[in-house]
Amino acid sequence: MTATETRPGVKVMTMIEAISDALRTEMKNDDRVVVFGEDVGPKGGVFGATAGLHEEFGETRCFDTPLSECGIVGAGVGMAVYGMRPVAEIQFLDFIYPAFDQIVSEAAKMRYRSGGEYTCPMVIRSPYGGGIRGGHYHSQSSEAYFCHTPGLKVVIPSTPADAKGLLISSIRDEDPVMFLEPKKIYRHGKGEVPLGEHTVPLGRARIARAGTDVTLLAYGAMVPVCEAAADAAAEQGRSVEVVDLRTLVPLDEQTIVESVKKTGRCVVVYEAPKTCGYGAELAAILAEKCIEYLEGPVVRVAGFDTPFPYTLEHLYMPDEKRVLAGIDKTFAW
Amino acid sequence: MTDSQPNSTIRRDDALWLLRRMRLIRQTSERIAKLYPTDVMETPVHLCIGQEAVATGLCHHLRDEDKLFLGHRTHGPALAKGLPLEKLMAELYGRSTGCSHGYGGSMHLLDLEHGLPGSSAIVGGSIALGVGAGLAAELGAGHFVGVSYFGDAATNAGVFYESLNFAALRALPVLFVCEDNGFSNVMPKSEHSAHDIVGVASQMMPTASIDGTDVLAVNDAAGRAVSRARGGQGPQFLHCRTKRWMKHQGPERCDLIEVDIERDCPIHKLERFMASSGMVTPRELADLRSAIESEIDAAIEFAERSPRPDPNLMEA
Ligand SMILES: Cc1ncc(C[n+]2csc(CCOP(=O)(O)OP(=O)(O)O)c2C)c(N)n1
Repeated sequence: MTATETRPGVKVMTMIEAISDALRTEMKNDDRVVVFGEDVGPKGGVFGATAGLHEEFGETRCFDTPLSECGIVGAGVGMAVYGMRPVAEIQFLDFIYPAFDQIVSEAAKMRYRSGGEYTCPMVIRSPYGGGIRGGHYHSQSSEAYFCHTPGLKVVIPSTPADAKGLLISSIRDEDPVMFLEPKKIYRHGKGEVPLGEHTVPLGRARIARAGTDVTLLAYGAMVPVCEAAADAAAEQGRSVEVVDLRTLVPLDEQTIVESVKKTGRCVVVYEAPKTCGYGAELAAILAEKCIEYLEGPVVRVAGFDTPFPYTLEHLYMPDEKRVLAGIDKTFAW
Repeated sequence: MTDSQPNSTIRRDDALWLLRRMRLIRQTSERIAKLYPTDVMETPVHLCIGQEAVATGLCHHLRDEDKLFLGHRTHGPALAKGLPLEKLMAELYGRSTGCSHGYGGSMHLLDLEHGLPGSSAIVGGSIALGVGAGLAAELGAGHFVGVSYFGDAATNAGVFYESLNFAALRALPVLFVCEDNGFSNVMPKSEHSAHDIVGVASQMMPTASIDGTDVLAVNDAAGRAVSRARGGQGPQFLHCRTKRWMKHQGPERCDLIEVDIERDCPIHKLERFMASSGMVTPRELADLRSAIESEIDAAIEFAERSPRPDPNLMEA
């Protein structure tokens, strides 16, 4: 661990360290928390999220599984229903599709189909998104599939402190949570993270940057991109508000709608393919809830409607320039 | 289900073919490992140093029209099947002259002319595709066999069972080839599989388990399996035990695996056999090595001067 303590009760950490810290904290707090997945045991995961947990808590609390995504998630559902708090890791979100059936057909429907007799308090953690030159199958952003499935919560942190607080809240939640980790910023910058107990409630967005002229809605690795764009726009005299959604389901509609009512303009930024991405839902909500406040179209700056590319990643991922062009479009109305 | 004995009656031409392909794969892999840290390749690479005999012994019996479906560890089998070296290099360099036009990368090598319809980075993902190719052949699409080529950990995925069952029920012309290097990343087989791969496969189809570091043994068993599949006798399973000398991904040696050249190196073993039976002289072996080095130099030069894919295609 390279984390350093700055002041009592707080440490400066990377996001991946904060995730590790959240797992360790909750494993200490609650014996029912069990962490498992491919290579998460002695190796500590391909990105190191579970580093040291196997050694500290032993084979019954943190262990390796076969290369069987469907089996991993299915076993997690069974554990959750019978009183455990499973935290399963899917090595890359791109590998989750063999488990899609278990997630959509079993985990997500457990509470509803049992009339509330059962809940499924399970977390599926998975690194997602581009930015590490991983090519087609180590880069995708498929959050929208899960948002489209009633019964699942979908959480995406963008800072180390939020990663810890949101992960602990997700583990404590009674429902299945897809906890998607923007791997591009795993080690991007460091931030202060409270030691020990630290939760961030699900369903509350964060105003990452306050502004008055235009709202940027983002999550995950797109939040720092939007913050950089906000800085650049400020030089042109535009005051930009950046809202970090933090949880896509449940969504903090109130914060979003209030921000857009205030600024009258909105750009939605996400790295997934544009069509039917989460940004489409945000645009629809704004149209329903505050169209009379809009002074320009809601603009989507997103990935492209192609599979994630191999050598063209730098063009595919929304960057500061594309966000600025998006802002311009909201003013060109 | 018996271990095949090396076929010491192999003809010189055949032995030379096997040696050339294995050397091409080995020397190319070693060059990739050397270049990789310089960042000229924007793609993860899963090298197959030490595993050359499996793909080579198999592909000796495959025709261009036979369809070989691969997973993530692709370079060796693709070269063995006939993918031109320059097209592999250009693909690794992300150039438009690459076998997948610079859109694939290491894990997605494609060469329709040589029966490489594609490969998937999703472990187990392409096993079913080999079955589909066999079914297509059965239904009149052509005279070829479908080959599913995968590692030991792929047998943990549900699609493995589904595919074997489907192929066996319909007696399809399909070959399943398990390149068992005993590891899934850092996890040894004993920690990822409770089942015995040969035991499972042999419930559904004829299965041979072979020393996959002995190219003559692979060549022999593959010859019989391919001709049975071609001859309408249904799917066949080859289980080839081998060793992965490198880390799961990237250019470094793996420190979990003990390698004894005399025992484990397929190239060393074949060269020793050929020399002792008078098929090659030391001089010929040295010439072969340097001819392949020149081929690799030329392929890299080709890749370096090739253009990158047209970024506008993405906007389409
Ligand atoms: C569905 C899926 N799960 C996990 C991975 C990550 N992964 C890539 S290769 C690999 C190990 C595969 O082992 P094996 O099938 O034995 O092939 P080998 O790497 O040994 O050639 C893992 C876990 C993946 N690519 N796809």
